[in-house]
Amino acid sequence: MRSSLRRYLVSTPAARPRRRARAKAIDVLEAVQAPSAPPAELSWHDYAVFLLHVASEIEHALMVQYLYAAYSLGGANLAGTRHENARQWREVILGIAKEEMGHLITVQNILRLIGGPLHLEREDYPFRSDFYPFHFLLEPLTKNSLAKYVVAEAPEDWLDTKEGKEVVERAAKADDGRQIVRVGMLYELLVEVFGNEGALTDEDFRADTAPYQASWDEWARGYGAGERGNIGQESPKRTPDVLVIPAADRAGVVDALQQIARQGEAPAGRGADTPEESHFKRFLKIYKVFPERNPPSRNIPTNPTTQPPQEGDADGEGPTVCSPITNTHSMLWANLFNVRYRKLLFTLKHAFHVQAGDAVDRPTARGNLISWTFGEMYNLRSIAAILVTLPLNDGGGDERAGPPFSVPYTLALPDWDSDKWRVHRDLIAAAETLIHQLDEDPDEAQHAYLRALRDHDRQTLEVVERLLTGAEQQEANA
Amino acid sequence: MTIRALRILPPLAIGRLGSSPEPLENYDVRVSDRDPLGFREIHGALTFVVDADTGGIRRSYTPESVRFKDARGRVKPVAPFLEVWADVDGTLVPLTTALLARENIGVDAIEWCVQVGNQKAFRRTGQARDRIDANTDWFRGHARQSLAGRCANFLPRKTLPFGHVQFIRPTDEFPEIRLRFTPAKGVIYGANDDRTRSEDVADVIYDSGRGSWSGYTDGDADPSTIVTNPGGIYANTGDDRTTSRGYLDDECDGIVEVRIASLNLGAFARIGAGPPDYAPDSFPVRTIADELEQILLGPHVGDDEVSPEWTEEILRRAFETVRLQNTTVLNGNSVINGGPANSMALQDSRLGRAAEPIMAPAIVDSIALRALHQSVFAALRGGTAAWFAEVLREYEEVGDLTNAGRRKMPAMMRGSDGLHLALTRRQYNAVRASGNAQANAEDPTSVTFTTPAPPAEEAE
Repeated sequence: MRSSLRRYLVSTPAARPRRRARAKAIDVLEAVQAPSAPPAELSWHDYAVFLLHVASEIEHALMVQYLYAAYSLGGANLAGTRHENARQWREVILGIAKEEMGHLITVQNILRLIGGPLHLEREDYPFRSDFYPFHFLLEPLTKNSLAKYVVAEAPEDWLDTKEGKEVVERAAKADDGRQIVRVGMLYELLVEVFGNEGALTDEDFRADTAPYQASWDEWARGYGAGERGNIGQESPKRTPDVLVIPAADRAGVVDALQQIARQGEAPAGRGADTPEESHFKRFLKIYKVFPERNPPSRNIPTNPTTQPPQEGDADGEGPTVCSPITNTHSMLWANLFNVRYRKLLFTLKHAFHVQAGDAVDRPTARGNLISWTFGEMYNLRSIAAILVTLPLNDGGGDERAGPPFSVPYTLALPDWDSDKWRVHRDLIAAAETLIHQLDEDPDEAQHAYLRALRDHDRQTLEVVERLLTGAEQQEANA
Repeated sequence: MTIRALRILPPLAIGRLGSSPEPLENYDVRVSDRDPLGFREIHGALTFVVDADTGGIRRSYTPESVRFKDARGRVKPVAPFLEVWADVDGTLVPLTTALLARENIGVDAIEWCVQVGNQKAFRRTGQARDRIDANTDWFRGHARQSLAGRCANFLPRKTLPFGHVQFIRPTDEFPEIRLRFTPAKGVIYGANDDRTRSEDVADVIYDSGRGSWSGYTDGDADPSTIVTNPGGIYANTGDDRTTSRGYLDDECDGIVEVRIASLNLGAFARIGAGPPDYAPDSFPVRTIADELEQILLGPHVGDDEVSPEWTEEILRRAFETVRLQNTTVLNGNSVINGGPANSMALQDSRLGRAAEPIMAPAIVDSIALRALHQSVFAALRGGTAAWFAEVLREYEEVGDLTNAGRRKMPAMMRGSDGLHLALTRRQYNAVRASGNAQANAEDPTSVTFTTPAPPAEEAE
């Protein structure tokens, strides 16, 4: 975690130094009490922004780790029940990741509402902090990694059950001995802060930001209950809607935060009384039947990276390990994945900076940015599915590559509108180079996809140029 | 060798109207391998040039390029050939002069009869005197046979020209037995009253003193007739009652028959004429070909029957359809902007629903929607299973006017029942089966794409 964030965590009640190296979960929970004052150097408003930034990073990190876990499931060596299980679990976990994306967007809405800067960055691995549920690890799905996900999404009262204690213990072992922190803790604190009328004033809530927030109608396109992206109908019928909640005032923020918390951790055992299945319930279901040994996962590495091998990579285990992709061909696909990942994040962020247009005779910025964002989500899924079949190393062996999800050097938006569109142009150019190299490779099997992708980028570039020209004209007239 | 039966192929031929005397060249439509998201490419195909006077094929050639209008800007009609095939001992072969000779008969033994009509007025007024029919009666020889539509309520000596047919004279080079249907010009005819505007019509043929087509309204329709849904889909004066102007177009459909009386054999096919195709490099998301395929093969599609290319073709047609639409207007954004544009958003309001846009107004510009569909298309090519079956509108949901129901795909389009358009059951099941098949594949990336074959619709 960046030191700029850590310094405030150190002074928050949630991050008080623990007396024991391996604190019990209950100790951590007790630490999350409504603070009577913001940390030193921060106002209440500032503190709220800071906590939302932490929430953004957590949602983003969880989403990426869940995606990696889902992509790891499957493989040509599976058959029968193992194949079927892998397929079902992949779809369920992808559904959860999609909902984490909704949480991330909703948190940006709240940041918008209170005038804080949007935050789509996240720390690259390895990192840890007192609010982060566990060390960030891109790893194939195992019973141990599932234990971490279950505990991170768990409701508080489940942790002390017999079942809960077993899973908590396994999860801690899997996280280098560190106690897993419930995601819900942060949202409980956020609810406390936002609900405290002595902390944020009504003037801190800017209802005029509504045109610059994301809505469910726009981002979920009105599809509910897992309709979007549900192959083979594996997501349960009670799968919740993707939460993309605009907020207009204090009550709206508290409601949104509570909905996010509920979607993560609504407890098991309420059966028909629980209309929707929480992340916790869905992960726990998989955990209970997931094999201890020989999981139906592909042989893909932990923390794949496009960086060249560093000293200590090879002998590392646990949260600090990185697995360089050294196969040249796989590296190109990994580079392309990173470009599309950056394009996704940049496009998403840009979408928050334009309001809806009503033109009927030319492309609209917001409509196209939203479409492109979805397009990059699809691309990530496609390229990840390709990467997990390609070799990790040049030297042969069975180990496959994986999507690196490398954090871009920056996601900052340029100040001028025209320059924002120029970043899109840069990203398309970077992708074009990689696509060309892959398409020219005689061993390449994915020509059909690459050419469709290139064609799509070309058409996107035409729209970018039109929007760029429009922005330049507006700036010239300003 | 015995001729057991005759067939006319294709059994359904759709011509297209055009005022040029020069028929449109034959062409194929292909998807480019290098430009998979672009427009389909139009390639000239083997084309016959018929001598109007002799009825023989003067020459055949493959055009390097295809032009849909002639030098004077007139639309070239699509004039399909109907070929006679013979079932010879169980094998279907083209009927030729040589085959006829083996039966000791000549070309003059071939007789044709063509009956076509345009019943738009009769369909509504319910008056038999409004039937417009053309009948060549049985004919031999190779002279052009006019298809002159006659109607009891027409003015004296007036007919509605539906084009013509011609029995192509077989030659040594082209010995096959075939007939060509050339549709009409594509013009409008009016009635002898003041509802007809002279600038609209090529001629005045309908006698308002005898018939009621001019002045007809769906609201006054005879209870024994079933009005269309939606109603009022005829040229009208624009008043609240959608009063008919009494206009008639020169589209038609009907039956072509062939017979060899001496062999006691015969066959028939269907022909029709529709408007010109102004977007020949794009196909609608649902076509008559899809309906026919469903009738022929049924609505069910097994996971092992479907190919990724099938789903790709449906998606391609989806973004081709979006490419031709102003989706911002179709979504009903004009409703919030104060405009009365006709759209499903407006149509739904006539069923008691609030008039409001279907999708969020900000996300529906057609370029953005095209991009979204093309992203899905690319993902399919990348091996991602078709995950979108759940957002397709099921056939039983066409009347669901909730927000969720109206946002299903295909969106913003009207089906023939006046409600929201759904894919055919067979198309819907194909998408679902494709998703299942790919998701069940041991390795999704092992499911590879090839360039899809052109759909059958192109063979017109």
